[in-house]
Amino acid sequence: MTVSVLDPRVDPEPFGWTDFQRRHHLHAPWDYALLTMEAWLSRHPPLLVIARSGNVIVAAMAVLVCAPARAGRYARPRPFLGGRLLPRVAQVYQPWLGGEGFVLADGGAEVLRAMERAVRSRLGPAMVGMIYRNVPESLVPLVSGRGRLVRPVQPAASVLENRWGSEDEWLASLSRNRRKNVRKVDRLVAADPTLVVRSGAGRSDVDGAELAGLLRTHRTKFGTQRFDPRTPVGAEYLSAVVRRPDVHTLTYSDVDGRVLAFSTYLDHPVAPVLQFWASRADGARAHLYFDCHARAIRHVIASGRKELSAGRAMFEQKQTLGFGARPMCVVGVPGPVVGR
Amino acid sequence: MARTDGTLPLVNRHGVDWWWRFAYRHMVNSAFRTVPLYRERWALLGRTDPVLVSERTGVHSGAVQMDEALRRMVDLVPLSGGSDRTDPTRGLGPVLTAERSLRRNDFVAVLDNKGTPRPWDLPRGVRGCVLDPESEQTESAWLDLTNALRRDVTVVAVGADKQLAGLVAALPEEVTVRLDVVARRELSELDSGPNGLLHDRTLGYLGGLRDCGRWHLDWRRVYARETDAGLAFTLLRQQSPRLVDILVDGGANVSIGRCPRHGTPVVTP
Repeated sequence: MTVSVLDPRVDPEPFGWTDFQRRHHLHAPWDYALLTMEAWLSRHPPLLVIARSGNVIVAAMAVLVCAPARAGRYARPRPFLGGRLLPRVAQVYQPWLGGEGFVLADGGAEVLRAMERAVRSRLGPAMVGMIYRNVPESLVPLVSGRGRLVRPVQPAASVLENRWGSEDEWLASLSRNRRKNVRKVDRLVAADPTLVVRSGAGRSDVDGAELAGLLRTHRTKFGTQRFDPRTPVGAEYLSAVVRRPDVHTLTYSDVDGRVLAFSTYLDHPVAPVLQFWASRADGARAHLYFDCHARAIRHVIASGRKELSAGRAMFEQKQTLGFGARPMCVVGVPGPVVGR
Repeated sequence: MARTDGTLPLVNRHGVDWWWRFAYRHMVNSAFRTVPLYRERWALLGRTDPVLVSERTGVHSGAVQMDEALRRMVDLVPLSGGSDRTDPTRGLGPVLTAERSLRRNDFVAVLDNKGTPRPWDLPRGVRGCVLDPESEQTESAWLDLTNALRRDVTVVAVGADKQLAGLVAALPEEVTVRLDVVARRELSELDSGPNGLLHDRTLGYLGGLRDCGRWHLDWRRVYARETDAGLAFTLLRQQSPRLVDILVDGGANVSIGRCPRHGTPVVTP
């Protein structure tokens, strides 16, 4: 087995990557062009680590290289003199999916250990450790072990398991109040003459810069989280995301065309993801958040998808729509244990 | 080296180019490292002079159209935060004092819309206000102006030709003789004077017409470069919103040169 560590900013797409992505139904953020864009527009740029058996890719890992001193600036395009001595933490994480940052198609923990060693070799002695973020409980045995710290992530991820044959069955499973509320929201949205709702895949009629600005302002309302390695989503990145055929973008606009709220839904044959949600503080209606989730749930039911993942925020509200909690863990790997 | 407070030292004419270029490159590198719009544009498309990502030279040498900058103002704020509001009166003090001397208690009236912020970078002791020529004459800005005109101080009014004419017509004749009017000019309106300040609503005051008859840039605070889409301006000291290589309307027919008398950069229509 061979392992290679790629910097999407400078390295070309590895041979067989598109095929691997298609075979294992990876979500849109694993697309190499998007990874490249994300790497350029990040404070902590991702590396793509791939393991091959022969010529076939058997595992992949997205690793954010996090330098604590880099809070207010993007990563340098190339390491500067002494850069290899700055303490860094490698975070195995897919920031715009909310789940684990690795895909294992073949093999077990030994493949992941080999990938860890490759990362350590790439980052040098200044790598103080690795962190696997948002690992579902079912995958924890692969990355845990002696000397590794495992802690639960709070709150857990909201995941809706599709156990309904039709929308009516889903509505019948909700509490009476929530059912009435969902129907009321439907009526409010349909009857609002000042609201223009558009949804579809591969949208070219939306301005990525407007969406990115809205998303940035929306997230600023909630303040910054400690140890959050994510960088505000770039306009070019979002433009590229919404133009993809496997991404459905839902926009709520006023009659002047100003986007009041939007969401992106990453389609997937098994587990679609409600990725971004943002609403304007002035002009957006509070019920649009529920409307967006109800539309995603209807799509999941109508298309027979197995589940819908919707991030970790606002769990109590999502629970009333049928979402359940999927426990996840964070696994810390101190430097000396990396690769062992 | 730049001083720790961000100001540039006084230099002789032979050092102007070096410092001007140094400050610009510093601002470009800083914007690339910290400001979303420039990071996107220069990393994904590229730029020239300097080239930041090898083999990527970008569109219009990496300069940004003004309407795009205005549309994406939130992306001109550095990652560490800052204001997303532009200041149309920025740079008035330095540009005005390069052209004429202002003393304590002198008065400067900027003729502009009501929402325009008061000039904040006038020399110490010089008072300033924003006066909307369309407003009622009972407003405090009018009273401040007429009171200043009745005292033994220099009173300067800065505005567009039409606004200045309206102001002179509205004031009593006996006080207008003491009013010093300075025309505000866009890049596309550069003429031969007798006086004038180069202005842009987003970038603020960029330079002025000096006694040599040339339009001088405020080179300590403003950088300009020629691109295939016209003249692009950079504010060398404004941290947020960061305005770097912004294409200004009317810049297509203007070039950058050097004043043979003062040895500093000038724009030539």
